[in-house]
Amino acid sequence: MVRSTSTTRSIPLFRSTSVLVVTWLALAFCIAGAAHAADKSEKLQELFVSEAYLELHEGPGRGYAVTQVVPRGEAIDVLYRRTEWFRVRTHRGVEGWAHQRDMRKTLLADGSTFTFDLGDRAGFTRHNWEMGVLAGDYGGATLVSTYLSRAFNEQMAIEFTGSQFLGNATNGYTAELGLIHVARPDWRLSPFLTLGAGMIWIKPKSTLVLPSDRDDQTAYAGAGLRFYVTRRFFVRAEYRFHMVFTSRNENEEINEWKAGLAFFF
Amino acid sequence: MESRARVLLLSALLLTLSGCASLHWPWSRDRDKAAAEEPVSAADEEAANNAPPPKVIEPTVERRKVKVNKIDSENIELGGFYGALSIEDFGTNPVYGIRADYHVTEDIFFEANFGRSKAGRTSFETLGGNVQLLTDAERRFTYYNLSLGYNLLPGEVYIGRNLAMNSALYVLGGIGSAKFAGDQRFTVNFGAGYRVLPTDWLAIHIDVQDVVFQSDLLGRDKLTNNFAAHLGATVFF
Repeated sequence: MVRSTSTTRSIPLFRSTSVLVVTWLALAFCIAGAAHAADKSEKLQELFVSEAYLELHEGPGRGYAVTQVVPRGEAIDVLYRRTEWFRVRTHRGVEGWAHQRDMRKTLLADGSTFTFDLGDRAGFTRHNWEMGVLAGDYGGATLVSTYLSRAFNEQMAIEFTGSQFLGNATNGYTAELGLIHVARPDWRLSPFLTLGAGMIWIKPKSTLVLPSDRDDQTAYAGAGLRFYVTRRFFVRAEYRFHMVFTSRNENEEINEWKAGLAFFF
Repeated sequence: MESRARVLLLSALLLTLSGCASLHWPWSRDRDKAAAEEPVSAADEEAANNAPPPKVIEPTVERRKVKVNKIDSENIELGGFYGALSIEDFGTNPVYGIRADYHVTEDIFFEANFGRSKAGRTSFETLGGNVQLLTDAERRFTYYNLSLGYNLLPGEVYIGRNLAMNSALYVLGGIGSAKFAGDQRFTVNFGAGYRVLPTDWLAIHIDVQDVVFQSDLLGRDKLTNNFAAHLGATVFF
């Protein structure tokens, strides 16, 4: 079986992958360099140990050995944070990783406790950012979807969804921007409603006779459920009804079902 | 002798007299009761409570207002990789790409990677002489994976006497898509990797993944396993 040779066209993004990779790497290292240079000039947060001592681990993980302890009353500087661990430095220059559970017991210079985002159930109710990966069905095609959302308050957020659907007859991408309203953010299982608009790029498969790609505007309305699992994670499942405004006489209706794992930060 | 007896008697008297004060004599009972029942006005009590405590040290230093500085979160890794990809039926070829990780907890992270390779010739094409199953453009293999990873074995590695580096063996699995032979397919990927951190902000990765997808390219529908081995470097932000 010999495949047809003339119908495929590569997407410009893919054609310039090497350029993309080089740019990406250069960007990564530049930002890293800048970030670390900035770290030095920034004022570090000073805290005081109020428990008998503060344990410093060798690495940002529960299994790493405790190699140093900082006694009560001594000051530490917080360098940065990685997941649940804080990289701290004592005034004697000793560095190590302290767990957030222990950092909660440190004090600021005015004697008040050091508070920060813990990534727990309270964070599920109230957070700034949210991100997730979902899989499902998009009008009969297999769907891979990611989203990023920014909250205005506990109940309202604006979210961007980028998806790819892979069907028997067509493939394509969608990009959508919408609003989400969480009815009861304090519930562990909380329902939500969503509404938005976006674009769809449909690419018929090379084996079919349909000649051209299509890009159309879409609008959607949907509902779903979020269920807090643990730490920063929750499961999200939703249904969206899409209306595709085609250039033909009839508009197209697409049902989307998806579920996946998301986290907040 | 006489004076010594007098001293003794006087001392005994003195002792009894002091003891008498603590006794409740019948004639003094009413007075005691009156003292106990004398009402203390509420206002007086309140005033006593509100009165400033006796000053021991006068604080001369103003209480400092402390603003909490923003603490830099370094949970994101960005970088690239190079390696080999074995495309089922099409041989093993170099692959390169970019990857981004977000560490959600000390154990769990999300990873997105995007790779590109070019398929070789099938044995049928090699043996068949002038047979071409795919064009050059169709041989391009591009894929992305969105995976969830788990740091299964975090630890430390030692190089020589003075160098200790944090490391982790992780497993990951996810979904994505692969574009190959003029078609885009849904993929499922799973694998394992090893991460070593020479410094806190730089990570070196070695990972092996199997990218699985359904393909009918060579006549019948089958599940193809495409193994990729990557060597990568990432920077933490």
